[in-house]
Amino acid sequence: MAQQLAMIIDASKCIDCKGCMIACKVANNVPEDQWRNWIKGESGMSRPGKHNGTTKFQPGACMHCDKPTCVEACPTGATYKDEMTGEVVIDESLCIGCGNCIPACPYGARFRNATKRKADKCNYCPERRAQGLLPACVDTCPTKARVFGDINDPDSEAGRLFLKNKEQLTRVAARTETKPNMFYIGDPGPRDWGGEAVTPASMIAMKEAAPFIKGIVGLSGLGVLAMLGRQLIAGSDTDHKENDDV
Amino acid sequence: MSESSQKISRRDFFKASGLIAAGAVGGGAVLGGLRKARAAAVPVKPWDSKFSACDMCFNKCGLIARVEDGVVTKLDPNSKFLKSRGMLCARGNAGIDQVYDPDRLKYPLLRVGERGEGKWKRISWDEALDLAAQKMEAVRKDYLPCGHLFSAGTDLHSQFVGRFAEVYGSFNVTSHESLCLVSNNRAFLDTFGEVPFADVLNSKYIVMAGANRFEALVTPDSIDLMTAMRENGCKLVTLDPRYTKTAALSDEWYPVKPGTDMAFMLALAHVIIGEKLYDPQWVEEKTYGLEQLAEHVKQYTPGFAADQCGIPAEAIARIARELAEAAPAAMIYPGRRSSDYEDSTQIRRSFAIVNGLLGNWDRPGGLLAARVVGLKGVPYEAPWYDENHEDRIDADKVPMMFEHEGSFLLTRDAVLAEDPYAIRGWFIYKTNPMATVPNRKKTIEMMNKMDFVTVVDIAMSDTAWYADLVLPSQSYLERYDPCSGLQGSSACACVVKRDPVIEPLYESRSLFDVMKGIANRMELGEYFDFTIPEYREKQLRELPGAEKILDRDGVYYNPSKVYGIYDGRIYKTLSKKIELYNQRYEQMGIDPLPVYTVPTKVPANRFRLVVGRNALVTQGSTANNALLHQLLPTNTLWINPNAAKKFNITDGDLVEVSSSVGRQEIKAEVTDRIREDTVYMLSGFNTLSTRQHLAHGNGASIAEILEGGYDTVTGNAALHTTFVTVTRKVA
Amino acid sequence: MNRKLITIAAACLITFFTVSMAFALGGGNGRKGKFLYRKNCYKTCHEEKVGGLSPANKTQAEWTAIFSDTSKIPCHDKWPAVPEKDLNDIFTYLHDYAKDSPSPAKCS
Repeated sequence: MAQQLAMIIDASKCIDCKGCMIACKVANNVPEDQWRNWIKGESGMSRPGKHNGTTKFQPGACMHCDKPTCVEACPTGATYKDEMTGEVVIDESLCIGCGNCIPACPYGARFRNATKRKADKCNYCPERRAQGLLPACVDTCPTKARVFGDINDPDSEAGRLFLKNKEQLTRVAARTETKPNMFYIGDPGPRDWGGEAVTPASMIAMKEAAPFIKGIVGLSGLGVLAMLGRQLIAGSDTDHKENDDV
Repeated sequence: MSESSQKISRRDFFKASGLIAAGAVGGGAVLGGLRKARAAAVPVKPWDSKFSACDMCFNKCGLIARVEDGVVTKLDPNSKFLKSRGMLCARGNAGIDQVYDPDRLKYPLLRVGERGEGKWKRISWDEALDLAAQKMEAVRKDYLPCGHLFSAGTDLHSQFVGRFAEVYGSFNVTSHESLCLVSNNRAFLDTFGEVPFADVLNSKYIVMAGANRFEALVTPDSIDLMTAMRENGCKLVTLDPRYTKTAALSDEWYPVKPGTDMAFMLALAHVIIGEKLYDPQWVEEKTYGLEQLAEHVKQYTPGFAADQCGIPAEAIARIARELAEAAPAAMIYPGRRSSDYEDSTQIRRSFAIVNGLLGNWDRPGGLLAARVVGLKGVPYEAPWYDENHEDRIDADKVPMMFEHEGSFLLTRDAVLAEDPYAIRGWFIYKTNPMATVPNRKKTIEMMNKMDFVTVVDIAMSDTAWYADLVLPSQSYLERYDPCSGLQGSSACACVVKRDPVIEPLYESRSLFDVMKGIANRMELGEYFDFTIPEYREKQLRELPGAEKILDRDGVYYNPSKVYGIYDGRIYKTLSKKIELYNQRYEQMGIDPLPVYTVPTKVPANRFRLVVGRNALVTQGSTANNALLHQLLPTNTLWINPNAAKKFNITDGDLVEVSSSVGRQEIKAEVTDRIREDTVYMLSGFNTLSTRQHLAHGNGASIAEILEGGYDTVTGNAALHTTFVTVTRKVA
Repeated sequence: MNRKLITIAAACLITFFTVSMAFALGGGNGRKGKFLYRKNCYKTCHEEKVGGLSPANKTQAEWTAIFSDTSKIPCHDKWPAVPEKDLNDIFTYLHDYAKDSPSPAKCS
């Protein structure tokens, strides 16, 4: 069976220390004020007395979904789902930085890297894995709230947790169902923040067109498409700092 | 959209269009159809991995530095490091930006303007060391050796400041401890005969007051607390005027009225004794003074405590019963920073006494004694200076000061008053009193009293900013450090060391080299006639093979006894037992049992200012860290919505916070996570030093506002005794 | 190991006080006592080995007992004659930083 790399998260163990965020930022050289991962806070009332442990901090990042809307939104094939590992990968050499994928992710996991001007998101730290290390966020986590691995491998820590907690595993649902591979053991904490995948109308039109037209557009219509992409970037750029370094 | 990014997009477009065309020709799939089966193999990064220990706070978590071409590119946790449970927190990860901070001190600087004016002249190390030696010699001659003060922060090189001070002839040495933990240490030492470690991991019931372990990280306690709660069903009850993350994750939280914790603790004792919930045999055998305590706590009923601290009487009685039920695997968590009130030692004594009743000493899930680590001291024979005054400048002001830590606040007062004698020289290493000691203006006055101030640090701290001579020290990744013995509660007793991970940056030197350089110029060279590796050999002389293991694993463990250390042993107290009733206190005229005093009422239209931490801050040393700054760009004033409404303050408003000693402007954070009578801000912001570009002029300095009360038993700072007004600034 | 060191030191001191007995204990200059202790006991008697010996290895009562009683052990002969006042300073140091004292000595 193919792998499915995933994260199994116990939100009840997260102390919101933000170790994962700094670890990820340093490991992946993520530009200032941009982040590949996050901890969502519970803004619950501070009610004195017994709480019954309801407060949860929720670590997260790209969920490497089984139905990745970002892949659908990518005009160049730079974003794709790796069939062997289940990862959603960005091939930077193919990414034109059009930004289509950014609103296409209902979890806001993607951003345009301010330095590289390409799509960016969690990639489970492939350079670290190649050396036998865990992704930076998982490695550094004080309470080991984040567990990473192949959930199809029952001998891995992630697989073991996946099987053991199968009944109580939850996902953070978004308005667009993408079948994320980010599993939370029990209550994940904040649940209602997932949005709707927004795919550019041009991409939807493109998909409905005949394959042969696709081919033509693929070869000769790129200029138009890229211009379209640029406009979309303009929309997303307001969220990201621009460096006047060129 | 800016011009620059348009250019980039165009460039990318040309590159990408070529690639896609190629893909279309080769594979036939385009536009969402171009799917590769497999990502290309990732090249392995050619990095070296080197062990070290973190230095972003005092915990010394084991780490592995990844070094590429002589540059640290990542700091990872050392998974074999049990004390930190194989983790590295946000600050630990951000250590990289402390080492490569563009604001780091690069070469020796001599002040050429007024103090604090920021005019400096670059000088050579030889000039700097000559000058330091000459000035220190002059102070010794004109004001006796004890006329020079030495202050060193928590650092593995700080012991060389102590060594230098002693051979130079001064016993006026202060550490950070009298701004932090001496009240708690005093209380537990005077109850159990030593300062315990908390076996959080194996505890079933923990009451946490005056501590915030999920934000003010202490290893392994912070991590073990979560493991205990989630894996072992440990119950956590937190008392805090703020709804901290610890409070948020607790089973129960009570916004205790500040300064009333003792009433709560004595009421617990009242219930435990009154209902005979303790183990009579254990208490009889191991403790002293149950009778006196029983009589004493009769008055402190849960009802009385409820009136004082605002926690319902039924809850207090229930918590007492639940604690006793879980005992001995139950505890009042001892905590660490206890610089809160004028009676902090007695407040913490009440914590210690409840632990005594729970019978948790030296047992799983309770309070643990110090284990054998096996490191040895490196003795030296300091000369005797007969001309010196007999005692420290801060002596005899409070009855139970720790001689080897001193009291910073009492020292400052004595220096200003020149009573009982004058101090005119100050050597400071890696501690930043200007940012961490209450009443910054008074610390500036203290600076102005000095003929010569030398600061050794990696950054132009506010303390360095007011010095005469500023010397750039090496960061923790650039130097050899002596070995350090650490106890990680029940996890381990271990030894760590540091070797250089990278070459020293700029002209930085280690504190040891600085001391050696000055000593050599003062005919004190014989006391520094060794290298750090030689020094470590002496420290490790009774642990054969440890050095090799340290090189292999980054840590050495001594498999010494964890529990039952006191079986057949006496307690190090006068009665040789756990002193519920303290005999020495009685002899000295200190309350032998903690007597509750009602804290000063918060005056109308004012607030009690409390200090605290979050996991991104280490006092005055992290506000300029570029990585941490992205998550914590400034500090804010927490104020309760009802209080804010009364003063017409809305979230984000600029407010002026004003006490009897100073005022600061800061943005209000209106939040129900704090009591109505209390406000709170983080420390470390708004430096005077302009060479801390992220911290200067950013937020507010709490040191400027806090007044300088102190614990009347130990001389520890009392940081929760300042009342402030909060006024909205009109835009 | 520790126990052995304590024995040596105790023995050392005990021997020492067979010579000069019965002086008033306490109230001396502990700071000077530390210097004298290192000079007379550590350097002349124990060399490197006693590096770990600290006032905190014994209780105040034990130090008092040692300084008020006499016994055996051949070490004192290596010590120079120490005046009574200095002895009291040494006692004050050991007593005031004993393990059950308000400020137990830290290592080294």
